[in-house]
Amino acid sequence: MECRETRQMIQDHIDGHLPPRVSEKLREHLGGCDPCASEEAELIRVGDLLRLWSAVRVEEREPQLSALWTRVGAVIEERRKPWLVPLLRRWFWVPAAAVVAVLTLLFYPLDGSRAPFHPKSFDVTVESLESDAATVALVDKGEDLPRVIWIIENGNT
Amino acid sequence: MGTPDPKPGSRLPAIAFIALILFAHTVVASPDAPVAVDVGVVVASNEGTTMDPALSSIQKKLQSMFNYTSYRMVDRLKRTLSVGETGDFVLPGNRSMRATSVPAKGNKVKLAVQIMEGDRNLLSTTLGLKRGGMVLVGGLSYQKGVMILIISAE
Repeated sequence: MECRETRQMIQDHIDGHLPPRVSEKLREHLGGCDPCASEEAELIRVGDLLRLWSAVRVEEREPQLSALWTRVGAVIEERRKPWLVPLLRRWFWVPAAAVVAVLTLLFYPLDGSRAPFHPKSFDVTVESLESDAATVALVDKGEDLPRVIWIIENGNT
Repeated sequence: MGTPDPKPGSRLPAIAFIALILFAHTVVASPDAPVAVDVGVVVASNEGTTMDPALSSIQKKLQSMFNYTSYRMVDRLKRTLSVGETGDFVLPGNRSMRATSVPAKGNKVKLAVQIMEGDRNLLSTTLGLKRGGMVLVGGLSYQKGVMILIISAE
């Protein structure tokens, strides 16, 4: 292996990216070539310095990084949640309303037996008023109120 | 090419004409038109303070006329009677009401009403109401209160 070829591959060798056979040949060359060995030592030292510098920067930026990771974690957690839950929560009223409607249709009388009264008039003429078994009175409290025929049985009411 | 849209106001006379026919139909019903008799059977008492929701529309009228604290509708009976036809209404407490639609003029309805308790005739009357009119018949004791019949004819 020549020096030029070796120097091109030193960094890959340091990073462990070379195939074992090539790495073996490179180590043989480095063992017998001082300039190339020196080059390797230089690159290793630069790498160590860079790692040290990165560590210092990471330590300086620890709070920001921590916050960033918290946010990333929250997003990941959010995406892990089942999509059906919020959908059900949002549209829960639809099946609930359907159930109420069905129950209403089943149990509420549809023949108008509970419909409110809406009288249009209280104008009533009473042509005759007779009873064989009770006293009957006609009560008229004015045009705004309905007329009442009151049956008094045995003087009870 | 499609048919051009009619001008916005061009349908107005037709709509007004149809509305007029409908209005005239509701206002002037034929004297021979069938009568829908609606009887609400209400039990009024001083037990509790119940006001049946079905009576909410006439709640103030009832409270203005009577001194009861509770009004509960126990039954609602409806019959549509042609002129001359008689309808029987079964009331609680072995009572019954018989109503016969009698010919009447104009927008009026005439009902011959008889209320019986078994064989006893409690009331015989002939009522003349406007269509949509209402009259009350009450006083019959029932349970712990009195029975009030809300009779309306449409």
